[in-house]
Amino acid sequence: MPVFKTPFNGYSVRFSPFYESRLAVATAQNFGILGNGRVHVIDLAPTGPVINELIAFDTADGVYDVAWSESHDSVLVAAIADGSIKVYDTALPPQSNPVRSLKEHAREVHGLDYNPTRRDSFLSASWDDSVKLWTLDRPVSLRTFREHAYCVYSVAWNPKHADVFASASGDCTVRIWDVREPGSTMVIPGHEHEILSCDWNKYDECLIATASVDKSIKIWDVRNYRVPVSVLNGHGYAVKKVKFSPHRRNLLVSCSYDMTVCLWDFMVEDALVGRHDHHTEFAVGVDLSVLVDGLMASTGWDELVYVWQQGMDPRAS
Amino acid sequence: MTMTQSPSPPNSNDDKPQAVSEVAQEANQAQQDVGAEAAKQSVPASVFVNSEPIREDQVSNAVKFLSHPKVRGSPVIYRRSFLERKGLTKEEIDEAFRRVPDPTSSSKPASLNQDGQAKSSSNVQTQAPIQTPQPVAVAPTGIASLEGRQFHWYHAVSAVGLLAASGCGTALLIKKVIIPKLKLWVRKVVLEEENDYAKKIDAKPSLAEEAAAAAKAAAAAASDVAKASQEMLNSKNEERRRFEEFMSLMDAQVQEMKSMSNSIRKLGGQASSSGRVFSDHDDHRVSASSTKQSYANGKVDVNVQLGRSSTPPASAEPPHPKSYMEIMEMIQRGEKPSNIREVNDMPPNPNQPLSNPLIAPRTKPWDAQNGSDHQVLQSQTSAEGLNQNGQDDGLNYLLDDESSTPWWQRKNVRITEIENEDEVKDTGPYGVRTNEQPPPPIQRTWVPPRPPPVAMPEAAEAIRRPKSTPKETATQEQSADGQSAAHPSEVTDELQRITKMSESVGALEMNGGFSTGNSAVIQEQENSYGEN
Repeated sequence: MPVFKTPFNGYSVRFSPFYESRLAVATAQNFGILGNGRVHVIDLAPTGPVINELIAFDTADGVYDVAWSESHDSVLVAAIADGSIKVYDTALPPQSNPVRSLKEHAREVHGLDYNPTRRDSFLSASWDDSVKLWTLDRPVSLRTFREHAYCVYSVAWNPKHADVFASASGDCTVRIWDVREPGSTMVIPGHEHEILSCDWNKYDECLIATASVDKSIKIWDVRNYRVPVSVLNGHGYAVKKVKFSPHRRNLLVSCSYDMTVCLWDFMVEDALVGRHDHHTEFAVGVDLSVLVDGLMASTGWDELVYVWQQGMDPRAS
Repeated sequence: MTMTQSPSPPNSNDDKPQAVSEVAQEANQAQQDVGAEAAKQSVPASVFVNSEPIREDQVSNAVKFLSHPKVRGSPVIYRRSFLERKGLTKEEIDEAFRRVPDPTSSSKPASLNQDGQAKSSSNVQTQAPIQTPQPVAVAPTGIASLEGRQFHWYHAVSAVGLLAASGCGTALLIKKVIIPKLKLWVRKVVLEEENDYAKKIDAKPSLAEEAAAAAKAAAAAASDVAKASQEMLNSKNEERRRFEEFMSLMDAQVQEMKSMSNSIRKLGGQASSSGRVFSDHDDHRVSASSTKQSYANGKVDVNVQLGRSSTPPASAEPPHPKSYMEIMEMIQRGEKPSNIREVNDMPPNPNQPLSNPLIAPRTKPWDAQNGSDHQVLQSQTSAEGLNQNGQDDGLNYLLDDESSTPWWQRKNVRITEIENEDEVKDTGPYGVRTNEQPPPPIQRTWVPPRPPPVAMPEAAEAIRRPKSTPKETATQEQSADGQSAAHPSEVTDELQRITKMSESVGALEMNGGFSTGNSAVIQEQENSYGEN
């Protein structure tokens, strides 16, 4: 399985929704504390287990997250630690990039998500406690959602309802929003500690997974949000990111500060179905390909990006 | 359809059929509109909005919480956040706020300061054993009150010091001045006695009187001195005691200051030279207020301070890499890491138009299985996509002809680390995409083993392989079908269902059922191609 070495510490990895072999990686220097950042666009060579870098973009501050556009195959957006969002177009020459710099957040932008159904808008989650809604054709945000009492770490669109999204925050709650409503429509006090990530089930639009500093992942049904559907324990430290499989209803993947990437089947009693400990530092980013069933990627503070097929060892060569 | 009949048409007399049909149309439309609205609103409204009624007990608890004086001093958002974390809905929180008069934000800091100072003075006077929680409680009220208390602190400390110093000074003075005076005086008296020894007879009575008087005076002076020194000692002891109290309070305050400075850094700090303490979900130095305090009893968990959670359960924070700690220390000392360079990442042309997309958006696998109408769309989009995909990626791939599947699409059926083997086998080596897009064009030796749905594959195959005629592809497919042995139709159905990834219906069971037939097919295919 191929490995890609980044000069800076990895923060996020995302598969392209247009090209099976393309990924984007967000990295930040000095663990994201203080320093530059870089966005890599990498490509899996079809022949052997090799990863080539197509292009890289340098930024003044660390990049915490990256998201591909669902409408333009060459466009991606990056969340920068100085509070701005940069838009890049890989089809344009490098000196024309970035094509946009959207600066509205007062603090670091930590999460991005592009709308997969309507494909025209994206959300940004920031440590200034707010979530903003953007489109590529406007230089200013369309909406600002400000209700959380602490940093918003992650935001996720509902895969079926184009107007509904969820945000996970350090105030220990997950909020469900509808862009047509002025405020949040639901507040789920999911954990006793900060919630670092959330994701919707792609096959059941009422199920949402939350990952928290309390080392657990909880699956919630929004129709009955007082009690979780399932609690997934197994990580040794805070769970940084959780992602439902685009191909299987019950499968989700998570990465954690315990340096492992775990696969879960939340409908089964013994939910942990796979575990990979290939990283030698915090595993902070993980993604499952929408186009290729079973293809997954992860990145961590050890400056490595792994891409492998489910069931295989990421370190196998 | 009953709706169409119920409203009586206005022109029932004339043009009856037209009127009825009009009304029917209107009613239908209305029905559709209502239905659409209901569909629009009911699904998100009923699912993504909580429809629980307001719970009175929760509201009354919230009112008790909000009425507490300590809570009134905290910012509104932290009060809301606390209630949310306790499980109250928005409506319940709003209702509680409505019932409790809310002090304005401007008066909060003022009342804060007064509270803080009053508390500190009461602490000093009463020497209450609950000094620690009180400073904790007052700590979140802000820097202003803290500074006030600091001011107060230094005031008190300096006063104590002054008192002690003056006490010591006066004691020393007394010792140095009065005692020598006494001595001198006594010596004088003795000398006079000696000198006047001759005049003893006459002077005796006067001497004796004088001596007595002197002795009395000395005694009085001595007693005064003794009293004074004792008083000094007492006051010193008292001062010392008070000093120690102050010291303990100050220690608590120092800890508070430390946590405050941490939180200030986290809250207010930008990415300037002060760096970024972002791993705050690991470092929890919030003092020990417990969120487990019973809320229902009306006791206040005033850890609302910064909406921060308390220490992570049971375990220490995760071991950060050594260089991470080094960089953190550097930042805290004010140094900048040397590897940072000046980067200009501003867009050279903020109005740069985006390039035109080369590929149409591809349908998502979870959308693909919903209904047949999607298939039509899929075929169109994927056909377009194929065209362009072929042009775009085809160039790259044509270089590597005769290579087998890209390694990322190859799935090793045998090795399954995952316990859920059924799922793995299910998709097999060709478990690539579920949106009908066939693999890249080079795999001339590798035909998708699955018999694809009817309309699609010929178009797709034709586009993909311009050289081969549809006849050839048909024969190839037939041979593939032939190879799939026993029950082609059944396998076709099964594989079609797999292709559509209809896992939402009885997921695992179906997969289990399919996998056996599937894996047989896979292996057969593999064997046949291996021979090629």
